[in-house]
Amino acid sequence: MMTRAAIVVCWVLAIGLALFLVLPLAVIAAASFSPTPVFDLPLSGASLRWYGRIGRLDGFWPSLFLSLQIALLSTALSLVAGTLAAIAIARGKLPGATALGTLLVSPLMMPGLVLGIALLQYFRMIGFTATWSALLVAHLVVTLPYVARTMIAGLSRFDFTLIEAARTLGCTYAGSVIRVMVPALAPSFLISGLFSLLASFDNYPVSIFLTDVRSKTLPIRMLQYIEEAPDPTLAALSTLILAGTLVLLLISDRLVGLHRMAGTAD
Amino acid sequence: MSEAAPHLVISGVSKRYGAATVLERVDLTIRRGELVTLLGPSGCGKTTLLRAIAGLAPPDTGTIALAGRDVTHVPPHRRNVGVVFQNYALFPHLTVAGNVAFGLKVRGTPKAEIDLAVRRALALVKLGHLGGRRISALSGGQQQRVALARAIAVEPDVLLFDEALSALDRKLREEMQVELRRLLQEVKATAIFVTHDQDEALTMSDRVAVMNKGRIEQLAAPRELYARPASLFALNFVGLSTRIAGQVVGAQDGMVEVVTPVGRLSARGAFQPGASVIVATRPEQLRLGADAGANSAAGRVRSVVFQGSRTLVDVDAGAGASLLAELSGREAEVPRVHDEVRFAWPVAETFAFAAEAAP
Repeated sequence: MMTRAAIVVCWVLAIGLALFLVLPLAVIAAASFSPTPVFDLPLSGASLRWYGRIGRLDGFWPSLFLSLQIALLSTALSLVAGTLAAIAIARGKLPGATALGTLLVSPLMMPGLVLGIALLQYFRMIGFTATWSALLVAHLVVTLPYVARTMIAGLSRFDFTLIEAARTLGCTYAGSVIRVMVPALAPSFLISGLFSLLASFDNYPVSIFLTDVRSKTLPIRMLQYIEEAPDPTLAALSTLILAGTLVLLLISDRLVGLHRMAGTAD
Repeated sequence: MSEAAPHLVISGVSKRYGAATVLERVDLTIRRGELVTLLGPSGCGKTTLLRAIAGLAPPDTGTIALAGRDVTHVPPHRRNVGVVFQNYALFPHLTVAGNVAFGLKVRGTPKAEIDLAVRRALALVKLGHLGGRRISALSGGQQQRVALARAIAVEPDVLLFDEALSALDRKLREEMQVELRRLLQEVKATAIFVTHDQDEALTMSDRVAVMNKGRIEQLAAPRELYARPASLFALNFVGLSTRIAGQVVGAQDGMVEVVTPVGRLSARGAFQPGASVIVATRPEQLRLGADAGANSAAGRVRSVVFQGSRTLVDVDAGAGASLLAELSGREAEVPRVHDEVRFAWPVAETFAFAAEAAP
């Protein structure tokens, strides 16, 4: 039994930690509405002028499109490859399946910086210099572990007797997979897709080594803006990205429940 | 089709996994409306036989005919069987009613008919009020009932139960055994149970097939299986028994004379003189005292276990032999530990089995 004091301490710590994590975001959001170029508390009014400037930032649109393109494409490819790999690992009775699974997930444990340098050198060595393709392949390396990990976990929880049950009830094998396995694995699929999308979209340490002057992903472009002109436009952009992420999270929570994100079961 | 006509005919079914033979030329014929149990230890092939009937593990050789149709190579989804799995295998993304409706939906049954069939099936298992529940909100016993309702709803030609009661706790299991048997008889279902639980087999079935090493050792009604075991394995697997090793010294008209450490015993069995046999009888056949014309043996009481309606007496008969007697509660005299006692039992209830088949 926890004593009353212990409970109070726990709550104070939890709330304090949450505030510590969330406050910077709140400050950014507040700053984005600042009417003056220099953010100053208390605010002397609210303005959307910085939001209007986002679109006029030098090279903003190409960077946004590049980031979205790479994020969506690498996520789509990761979902296909990662799911197939997870099926093979969780179900295929492959020799060394566990080792293979660990290998697939290993980029997650690697510092992004190291991964970026390694990929850069490797791509140069083999003469793979097309920026866009190199970026996509690098992001695949980054996003695949998210999909593989979540799908392996989901599949190993899946009870394959359900397929047999569906078959005896009149489903073909393919029909059973569609009617029983797909709905059971849909949450894992969705969650891993979301993780993958976010991981790619805000990746900096790997991308920085593979972009060139003409094609920069959004995070890299943003760092450049901050070096050039530190005004609240960036705060506005950050707030928009934050809002977008929140919307994605809310949708996922509605669809499957966020508690599954941590890999904790139903 | 008449009630007695063969409904499920399994002939010469064999199945191997690599070097291991799991089923060895199994023959089994089941009548319409019959409840049959495949009873045996793990690895005896009972589950494999059930899966062969369901179409989930087609046999290597042999044929399976169901309701007058050869289904040996028919895939499971076109066999019209109902399976209740050990872990129930309920679909977690569907409600109780959704699970029960699944088979009919897949078959393209009109919605009105599905609703009616679902309601009927759920009422049958007394879960009519839980149709809208999620599966995860049900207890183990309720899930078991949903699995049964789901299997019954498609009106299968045969219902197959794979250790379907083993996950329930003892009390609930015993209640379900009786209720399930009544329910299956009510809907006139043909059913096959797979279990390693002899009580379940004796309670639930019209006939029991005792399986060992991929073969059916004996197929008989529960009462006959208990009273007239066909092999040492069947004797050991169902019920308690006294077993004494000995050598045949005389044989005549299906009876043998056997010399054992506890004395000369007569038993049913056909063996040549000189054969090594195990002589066996059921504990309730033993009576205190000597009896001319009956088998008898003496020894010292090792333990007395009171079990309410009966008392089990274990007697050390010397030379490694022991006697197990079951005395009913009405018995006036019950021996105590260390007493010297003599028990007698009828020759007609004594059986001789080949010794080398001992498990």
